[in-house]
Amino acid sequence: MARGEQNDVSRRDVVKMAGATGLAGVAGVAGSASAQENPPIGNYPIQGDTATFGFNVPQSGPYSSEGQDELRAYELAVQHLNNGGGWVDNWEGLSGNGVLDYQLDSVTGDTATDADTARQSARRMIQRDNAIMVSGGSSSAVAVAVQELCQREKVQFMACLTHADDTTGGDCVRYSFREMFNTTMSAQALAPVVTEEYGDDLNFYQLYADYNWGQSQQDSMNTYFSDAGWSQVESVATPLGTSDFSSYLSQVPRDETDVLFLNHYGLDGANSLSQAIDRGLNEDMEIVVPLYNRPMAQAASGAIEGVFGTVAWDAQIDNEPSNAFTETFQNEYDRIPSGPAQLAYAQTLQYAAAVERAGTFYPPEVIRQLEGHEYDNIGMGPETMRACDHQAQRAVPVVRGLPEGEQEEGSFFEIVNLTPREEIGYGCDEGPAAECELGPYE
Amino acid sequence: MSDEPTETADATEEGGAVVERERTEREFPSWERVRESELFVIAITTVALAVFPWLFARAPVISGVLQGYQDLATLIVIWGIFAMGFNLLLGYTGLLSFGHAAFWGGAAYAAGVFSTHVSSSPLLIILAGTAFAALLAWALGFVALRRGGIYFAILTLAFGQMAYYMALSPLSGITGGENGYTGVELAPLLGSFFLQYPVPGLDWLVGTWTYVLVGVVAVVCVAAANRILHSPYGMVFRAIRENDQRAEFVGLNVWRYKLMAFVISGTLAGVAGSLFTIYSAYVPVQSLYWTTSGEVVIMAVLGGVGSLFGPILGAGIYLYVENVISGVQQLTLPFTGPGEYVTLVQEPVVLLEGFGAYWHLILGLVFVAVIVLFPRGIWGLFEDAAGAVRRLGSDH
Amino acid sequence: MGPRRDPVDDRTKLYACERIPNEHGGEGKFTSRIESVRSGDGSPGRDCTDSEDDRKRLGGDGVLAEVLTVFINGLQQGAIYVLVAIGLSIILGTLKFVNFAHGALYLVGTYVGLLVTLEIQLTDGKLAEWGFTSIGLGWGFLAALVIVPIVVFAVGLLMERFVARPFYDRPDTDQILLTFGLAIVVQEVFKILFGGQSYNFARPGWASGPVDLPIIGAFPEWRLYVIGITAVLVAGVYALVEFTDFGLVVRAGTRDAEMVELLGIKLSRPYLMVFGVGAALAGVAGVVGGPLYAVNPNIGTEILVPAFLVVVIGGVGSITGAVLGGILLGETLAILVAVAPQWSQVGIYVLAAVVLLARPQGLLGSEEVTP
Repeated sequence: MARGEQNDVSRRDVVKMAGATGLAGVAGVAGSASAQENPPIGNYPIQGDTATFGFNVPQSGPYSSEGQDELRAYELAVQHLNNGGGWVDNWEGLSGNGVLDYQLDSVTGDTATDADTARQSARRMIQRDNAIMVSGGSSSAVAVAVQELCQREKVQFMACLTHADDTTGGDCVRYSFREMFNTTMSAQALAPVVTEEYGDDLNFYQLYADYNWGQSQQDSMNTYFSDAGWSQVESVATPLGTSDFSSYLSQVPRDETDVLFLNHYGLDGANSLSQAIDRGLNEDMEIVVPLYNRPMAQAASGAIEGVFGTVAWDAQIDNEPSNAFTETFQNEYDRIPSGPAQLAYAQTLQYAAAVERAGTFYPPEVIRQLEGHEYDNIGMGPETMRACDHQAQRAVPVVRGLPEGEQEEGSFFEIVNLTPREEIGYGCDEGPAAECELGPYE
Repeated sequence: MSDEPTETADATEEGGAVVERERTEREFPSWERVRESELFVIAITTVALAVFPWLFARAPVISGVLQGYQDLATLIVIWGIFAMGFNLLLGYTGLLSFGHAAFWGGAAYAAGVFSTHVSSSPLLIILAGTAFAALLAWALGFVALRRGGIYFAILTLAFGQMAYYMALSPLSGITGGENGYTGVELAPLLGSFFLQYPVPGLDWLVGTWTYVLVGVVAVVCVAAANRILHSPYGMVFRAIRENDQRAEFVGLNVWRYKLMAFVISGTLAGVAGSLFTIYSAYVPVQSLYWTTSGEVVIMAVLGGVGSLFGPILGAGIYLYVENVISGVQQLTLPFTGPGEYVTLVQEPVVLLEGFGAYWHLILGLVFVAVIVLFPRGIWGLFEDAAGAVRRLGSDH
Repeated sequence: MGPRRDPVDDRTKLYACERIPNEHGGEGKFTSRIESVRSGDGSPGRDCTDSEDDRKRLGGDGVLAEVLTVFINGLQQGAIYVLVAIGLSIILGTLKFVNFAHGALYLVGTYVGLLVTLEIQLTDGKLAEWGFTSIGLGWGFLAALVIVPIVVFAVGLLMERFVARPFYDRPDTDQILLTFGLAIVVQEVFKILFGGQSYNFARPGWASGPVDLPIIGAFPEWRLYVIGITAVLVAGVYALVEFTDFGLVVRAGTRDAEMVELLGIKLSRPYLMVFGVGAALAGVAGVVGGPLYAVNPNIGTEILVPAFLVVVIGGVGSITGAVLGGILLGETLAILVAVAPQWSQVGIYVLAAVVLLARPQGLLGSEEVTP
């Protein structure tokens, strides 16, 4: 078919056998200098002189456009790591000539935003293509499923777009790192801005998608807006698979509710928001959508006008790394990058830089380099990749939807605030982090 | 090994009569022959399953061209069992179920929950999942089989979807809802073999213990299915497919046979679902969604309904396209570009950019083509081709 | 949409309970700019927005309003199901053809409707790659309401001739499999052409936003049109089948096609018409229902399953049955959403199963019509 795989016996199986039977010497075949120092684990040591990254994004299904944009950014990252360009030129440790002595190659998989499909394609990339690192996302269920697999297989996972608390909470794993913020941090970032805008002592009503992400989002919203002095009228679950929220929206008491939180993501969010506006709820109350993404904004179009929310990143954020990324992305693809694209690009470089610092691809060493790492180079202010739960402590962009007339391709929001990390976050012993047990390095 | 449906009238009368008579009476004279053929089927299956992962994932040249890998080989065998079970219903009684996801997913969840709360022994897990699927199949079959044809398809679809939405929302406390069931625990096989480890000495051939477990179960399933199809039961099933009214007239309780076929089929789906839990150590909620039922329909039809091995082939083709072809970025002419075994031209000749994204469309088109042109599926094509060759040979 | 007010002016200096009534009779949002002195206890506003009190004040009227709201929600949800199901039902009843690709006709209707109504920007998919980044006629909604049925009618004729006709004599299962495969192909073709992303099918300007209904209060205007258009179309089809010669042949064909053929009446032409009309209805459903949800290539398969439930609940081949089934399904969904949302999705399948078991031919189906 396409590229031929030359090795007859999969190295992975040999390594596994070595692990099972205690013949650690087999690893010597790999021939890398560091292989002698570190025992084989996962897809380490790398065979040959090319390191393979696996990019697992939705290429079919409703989020395929988001996945395509992530893929563009991943490919850009690999290109820059191999040949220089973009952030690579300014990042400490990155040479622009591969990583360590290896050139980079990548394989891609289609998650179809489906946990099962995502695991299958991750397995392929890990087992057949010997990917040393897997990255991707666009859904928390997918991220949780894939990172669990990566922990089992001892292959690093750099989470892209996943917003549920669980990813770095109850379901966290040692081998996964998240740059994206979570539902708790979204609520923390929104509360000051929204309460400042709309006033004190208001009543809010919530609808939430009845699964992990929706539950934790509504819970966070309740916690932090109650702390800010607002009170919850009611919080109603809408079952997954609902596309017509009209009946739920008709239950919203118009005279009691000042602000309506729609904790729906992506297309569900587009549907519930448009239907709320169609019902005229925006005339009686304000609406807040905790997390935006581009497919949602596109599908909801004019309905997002004036509606507050958070985004992973936006091209309008005006600082040096953000501008540099937007520019290089635009030069390459002639389109404005989306938030997940920036995450994808940043996570790939972050991993590469950690490998450079560790001086080896040996995963436990790379993980230790990422844990507690302080950085300020992706346009989200000073950040820490926290060691206790692998959650980046970073700023969160709060945005407002633009009116339909002002929306352009790739530009749907105005940036209201970049809430800095000092105002958000939680301790290692509280919130989601308290439930996190990272598991073993080896 | 011929699974060609016997001609209607004969089968009906023969099958009908046999049920009434003592089994041994009919079987005794040809017992040698039956045993021979059955042994042959089992032996062939065993050899094929043993060689398959090597051929697919490790053999020189072949595996390089195929781009296969161990886990996909395991997955293909698991889905093969599912598709074979599904085909016992569609191919032999003509009943089209769009709700088999309920048995596959139901068993997968049952196996997962059982592994967490009762025992993590792989064999017991399979038993638990299978038993659950069998009971579920019996209950649903009891209800769904009141109507045939389109109604049966829609009723099974409705029940399947009901199971999906139950798992998604009201039962999410048990199933984990959208995130799937993540608490699967697996003890070593028979207390001593870790499933994810390679088989010492044989790992070049079969790979891991997981594959050995799956392969052995698959052989058992093939043997069981083969036995059933060559038993009077199997003949009645075929009679029902050809004309269930006529079968009714000769005094058969058609409904009861249909229910049996449904339960057997659901049970095999359950075996496969339980194995899937062991394979992936995780149960996705999508395993209950109707697209899972749709996938097994496509596999069975693609491979060839009405033959024992066709659906297994279909499962292989489907999963191969889904997992390998879908990752192909460019469709290039063979032997062009670097990395080929024989390179004629260094610069790859690209026929189609972004080829992998079309995998679903390609499967859909092939599926439609099979239904219109080769109702007996790809396996049927092979059989026809083999038949033609044989005929050619005998002419000389 | 109401006039947007600048919320910046409203911040902090108001009570939640001090609202200006809006133009729809509800209490407006907190647009008061009156600087009120906060009450001493530091919990301003709470006492007057206490939900307990509010509910009491609403009293019996509130219950009636709620019941009516649930009812009209159900009616509207059912309306789309009805439009899709009628075609499915008469094709199944008359032609004995099981069309799993009926959802694809809905999909075609929605996309064609979208392209006739608006001009959309494409960013992904093959069309965008080929340079069609901005596509669509932008002729408005009424044009779509006329053009789409014609287009999808034609698609239906093609489908009858080239897909259905060769399969009339094949078993149900083969028809299901063929059309199931076809549905996948159509969905994938749209995905490749337009990308997997969702589009916003904006409601026509004259029918967007809420309208004020007695007792119920604000209700999305477009959803009223959905109910209205459905009612008109259903009446039209009913009249066509009940009172015309064409309808007579169709009804006779439903009962006993062989007998009709024996009487020397050629059925191939009416059959073609039946398929076309059924398809056109699904197409219109796509236009009418399109603005309710985000438009993407999966909507066809999503509508298919409930539509089939409607057909079997109502009874194959019966137009009134499809109407009854659709409304029943819509109402069940709406009631469960109000009462036990967790069970709302499960509920419609339970309903279908119960009806099929209690009355296998469907509520208004007759025994001999069922295939």
